[in-house]
Amino acid sequence: MAVNDPGGADADAEEPPSMLWGLDPVFSAYSRLYITDILQMKESRQVPGVYFYKNHPFFQVDVLGTVVYKREREDFYCYGVDDSTGVINCLCWKDEKWRDQGEPTKCTSSTLRRDPSGSSRGFNIEDELKRLKEAERQSTELEIGDLLRIRGTVKTSRDAREIKATCFYKVSDPVMAVQISHMLEMPRLYRKCYDEPFQMPSDDLGGTEAGGSSHFHYLLSRSVLTLKEFLLEKEVAKFRPYDVEFLLHPLIQTSSAEQESDQHRTSLATQIRKLLKETLSVLQDEGQIFRKMRTQDEVYNVTEQDKDLHTAIKDILREDTKREKYAEKGCHVLHILSSMRQRYSQNLSREVLEVALTFLECKSDIISTTEAHYIVL
Amino acid sequence: MLPLPAAFYFPWEINIDLVKDGASVRTFGRLTSYVPEESKAVLSCQQSSAQCHVSVQTSLVEPFQPILGAQYFVLGEIEKTDGLGGVTLHARALTCVDGVDLALMQQAIVEQRRFFEEREKLMNVQAPRCESPHT
Repeated sequence: MAVNDPGGADADAEEPPSMLWGLDPVFSAYSRLYITDILQMKESRQVPGVYFYKNHPFFQVDVLGTVVYKREREDFYCYGVDDSTGVINCLCWKDEKWRDQGEPTKCTSSTLRRDPSGSSRGFNIEDELKRLKEAERQSTELEIGDLLRIRGTVKTSRDAREIKATCFYKVSDPVMAVQISHMLEMPRLYRKCYDEPFQMPSDDLGGTEAGGSSHFHYLLSRSVLTLKEFLLEKEVAKFRPYDVEFLLHPLIQTSSAEQESDQHRTSLATQIRKLLKETLSVLQDEGQIFRKMRTQDEVYNVTEQDKDLHTAIKDILREDTKREKYAEKGCHVLHILSSMRQRYSQNLSREVLEVALTFLECKSDIISTTEAHYIVL
Repeated sequence: MLPLPAAFYFPWEINIDLVKDGASVRTFGRLTSYVPEESKAVLSCQQSSAQCHVSVQTSLVEPFQPILGAQYFVLGEIEKTDGLGGVTLHARALTCVDGVDLALMQQAIVEQRRFFEEREKLMNVQAPRCESPHT
């Protein structure tokens, strides 16, 4: 096992900045690593006490293993734990409760054992509490050969790795069910989680493939927001893509201002075009904008500013609520949608209609009688 | 100060050359005999048609309650004595685990081995690639 070097040289090369460690979900979890990996993972150069397996930062671990070594000190036990891949020292602090009254508990425990036989007195809460405490104490005292589960932080003292327990207990595993399920679980955990490299979000476009895509998502959300603000502020009713393209220039330029070659400028243009296309499709999916007609001329209507659309909706409601069928409840969204498609635009999506209906309701032009029925005032 | 890690071996692997003298191992088997005077126990296991035996030196784990016929889990060091083909396991831990799901345990051992084999293979693939400029 000692031949393995799971940290490897690659971990050394790219230790992620400590600011980003918290983004890795394994950082805040008690990670179930093999002891061999705990012994061999590289300590961080930035923060001692944090270790790297691949590029995952760890500082607390969860270990299950057989006790193969034991030494008692005044206020702690030192257990050597073997999980069949490695052996590590574990510092397990004695609970103050037991230290103060170490002897008395033992005395009461012997009297307690007699109790159940003569328990004609029934349920005694004090005795139960004592028994519970005794059970608790026993689960923290282990012998060689016992199974120990320990959670704690990894420390390096005098060049040896050890685990300082935050929680530990003896595991009762009479048919090895816990150990077997642990052995089956570990490879799965490694394959699914620890062996998968963690993708740090990168701030520059020159990042890795995945880093670039997360950066694109960031740009996209920024540009969607910018465009929405612009449309609202200027009360734009209709626009063509090239009318709003300039809004995205600052986003792309600030993020990649380093290089200024011709080739770069052309790639900049394609980037902007791609971003704009994605932004418009997001806004369309949200129902904020729509195309009334699918023609060569790419014109977008802004749902909240399209007076014709609003009038058409109100007209439909006004006419149809006169009919007996709709008089009481009002018109259902789907009814309005099909009427609007006949009358106004074949391309109208339900999302657009819902945005328009909400907008009209905010203006108190229409009222919703149920979740999906509307009447006009 | 700390003992070496004891890797899992199947009982039928203990007697072959795969396991070196002095190696720390953990294994399992059915307790078929126990001689307290000599501190000697024998764990047996059926593998396909063959019956295999592992002799265990129990002086370190005594006293223990021997239940003949029950499954035991043992952890300790291998001692190979010349001649007689004797291999003894000096037990550091011996636990009765009667009722253990042997099939599932074997599967777990195989899974763990496969994981480490794959990992080692991956390391070996990566290592020559790093050294390739020299060759």
